Amino acid sequence: MRVAQARRFVVSDHPLPWLLPLVAILLVFTVYPLIYNIWLSFHEFVPRRRALEFVGTENWVQLWNDTRFWQSLVITFTYFAIALVFELVLGMAIALLLDSDGFGFGFLRGVLTMTLVIPPAIVGMMYLLMEDPQFGVISYLLQSIGLLNPNNPILATASTALAGVLVAEIWQWTPFMVLIFLAGLRALPPEPYEAAMIDGASSFQIFRRITLPMMSKVIAIAVLVRGIDLFRVFDYVFVMTSGGPGASTYSLSLYAWQQTFSFVKWGYGATLSLVTLVIILVIANLFIRIAKVRW
Amino acid sequence: MKDSIRKAHLASVTDRFVRGQMDRRSFLRAASILGLGAGALGMGLGRRPFYGISQASAQEQELKPSAEITKWLSDVGKPFAGTTLRLATESTPPSNAIATQLKQYFEEATGIKVEIEVLPLEQVLQKLTLDVASSLGTYDLYYIDQSWAASFSQDVFDPREQLKNADLAMPNYNIDDFLKPLVDGIAMYEDRMVGVPYDIPIFIMQYRKDVWDELKLPPPATLDDLLKASAAITDAKGPNMYGTSGQMKSGHYSLECDWTAWLWGHGGSIFGPDGKFTGNDEAGLAAMAYWDKLKATMPPGVDGWTWDGEGQSVGQGVAASMLSWGEFFPFFDDPKASKVSGLMEAMVPPKPAATLRTVEQTGFGEIPGVGHQGGSSLAVSKYSKSPDAAWIFMQWATSADTQALITVLGGGTGPTRTSVYDDPRVLANARVGAGTTRHLPVVRDTIANYMGSEPDLPAWAELSSDMIPVALGKYFAGQSGSAKESLDALKTQVDDLVAKG
Repeated sequence: MRVAQARRFVVSDHPLPWLLPLVAILLVFTVYPLIYNIWLSFHEFVPRRRALEFVGTENWVQLWNDTRFWQSLVITFTYFAIALVFELVLGMAIALLLDSDGFGFGFLRGVLTMTLVIPPAIVGMMYLLMEDPQFGVISYLLQSIGLLNPNNPILATASTALAGVLVAEIWQWTPFMVLIFLAGLRALPPEPYEAAMIDGASSFQIFRRITLPMMSKVIAIAVLVRGIDLFRVFDYVFVMTSGGPGASTYSLSLYAWQQTFSFVKWGYGATLSLVTLVIILVIANLFIRIAKVRW
Repeated sequence: MKDSIRKAHLASVTDRFVRGQMDRRSFLRAASILGLGAGALGMGLGRRPFYGISQASAQEQELKPSAEITKWLSDVGKPFAGTTLRLATESTPPSNAIATQLKQYFEEATGIKVEIEVLPLEQVLQKLTLDVASSLGTYDLYYIDQSWAASFSQDVFDPREQLKNADLAMPNYNIDDFLKPLVDGIAMYEDRMVGVPYDIPIFIMQYRKDVWDELKLPPPATLDDLLKASAAITDAKGPNMYGTSGQMKSGHYSLECDWTAWLWGHGGSIFGPDGKFTGNDEAGLAAMAYWDKLKATMPPGVDGWTWDGEGQSVGQGVAASMLSWGEFFPFFDDPKASKVSGLMEAMVPPKPAATLRTVEQTGFGEIPGVGHQGGSSLAVSKYSKSPDAAWIFMQWATSADTQALITVLGGGTGPTRTSVYDDPRVLANARVGAGTTRHLPVVRDTIANYMGSEPDLPAWAELSSDMIPVALGKYFAGQSGSAKESLDALKTQVDDLVAKG
């Protein structure tokens, strides 16, 4: 390409010149690490020799036989499903309550965004204290009403630890759902509602027949964004339980991090990360097709 | 000076320091006069909780390196002036004391700059691993936890070899002054010396003498005494106070530390001479049975605590005793931080319930003993671009004089050198109060006679920080059946991992 042609190309309406820097950044910081990760999953770092050695499919075979991996997969799915259902239902309920221009509602909507600016690790530490069996307010309240045995601390008992972590997750991210749903609700046209009210439809009928169908795309986007995030859960379990008691709160991300950084198994850690990525991609794509999400 | 005026001055100097309008030395001097401990500078830096600088001792004594050492540093360090050394370390008493109070003397005398990164232990391991994998020499000095000695043994200089260079050898450095059990337990891997002992947390018995006296209980001299007394206290004072405490967080290294104390104390060991896991044998099961009974006397939150929660439970009066790290003792004696100042007594760990196994009856150099030893070494990296300057720093940091200063400034850490235990500056601090050293004779006795040390093998970092504490956590959470079933399953996992090398 000659100089004059290049100059014309740059000043033309063609988007490529403007996209090239972004594409280059994506190649360097996304595509290259992904390819390197795939390559790494067929290797393993050998501490004795301070070298990466080719191990073929050994990491993938190990993954298949690794009970901790399967356990962490189940835990991650459980965490994902419970958190998503709670955040969706609560988010929608709160959004419906806050969908008003009455006095004080603007302030309430502002207050809700506050949880989103707190780093998840800090929220984890807050709940760690609140669920402490000695002086935690949540433990105290649950013990007071007889729902918690003082000898079974929330985060140190296998049957309650995941619930203890989920409370922090749901508390912090339900407002995110509220904000998305509120934006959707406020963008809905008023005419169908007016017609329904004239026809004498009840509030529940209006919600089920009008609001929900019209909000379906917004809900799908919210599910997709939060679902991907939920599947990568790390901060809360790391801070609150470190995966315990036993391995009852071990998430896939925590397991991958531990193998990579604590035990220097770079190859196996890369394999675990890849599996997480593949699962997220498959589920997200399926969901996009089923929910007919359009970008 | 009125309290309000003092606080106003304190706020003013802190503000100037934070804004960079005042150097650290001036700030420390001013803060010291105004009653602020330099430990405030280290707040929140690491995961080991009670490693502040002893405010009381720092104020009472003129604590500076000896003139003789300073002169040697000045002479030998001149050729290296302008060099920068880097050390990544956990937040430990020696590192905190050096970083906040002492390294300025080294830097002034030699012209060598020292950068100390204080990180959580697992991050130190990551940094060192990346450094040796890439051979970049980012860090000149390695802080090596005893469980990593095998992993890094080929990546550091053997200090015995370094001492042969007479031009750089510190006069009277005396490597034989390091306590021999620590050299064997922390710093040796096969025939190599992986640095010199730098830091020694060790299990000692710490108990509320007032409670023991009130209930007319015999001091916990045996494991059986400890169990009976703990049960009696929990019965008499629970749920306001429990007999003893623990560091039993599932999946955390601290749980493995507690386990070994009971295991060794019941005549068991982690490995047999053939390198196979033996924690599930008869002695191992006896230890678990004992532990189950002892746990019933502990506060309910114990399953979620590492050493931090355990220490707080005693310091706040929730538990009346603990067999745990001696470094907590100076914190217990600090009336500003704990409710038990002057009430605690230190003694050597309780006598085992069965005869201890010998080193020959165990595997990978494991040394059975109820006094579980932690600890770390300091070594010069083979990839360092300035190994000679790093060796000068290492000698200074681990010399008897610096170690004595660290012990007094660092809040009562156990010294790694014999001579430091007898140093007048250290002995002068043996009184009730913050930063006390009155427990150090017990620490010394424990190191010499009751110390237990973990095995040395490359897989130990994973075994001790994950596989074993996760399996124990599952057991206590009721997820893995009986003690025998849990330990049998653990044996399969451990033997598989060890066989892979």
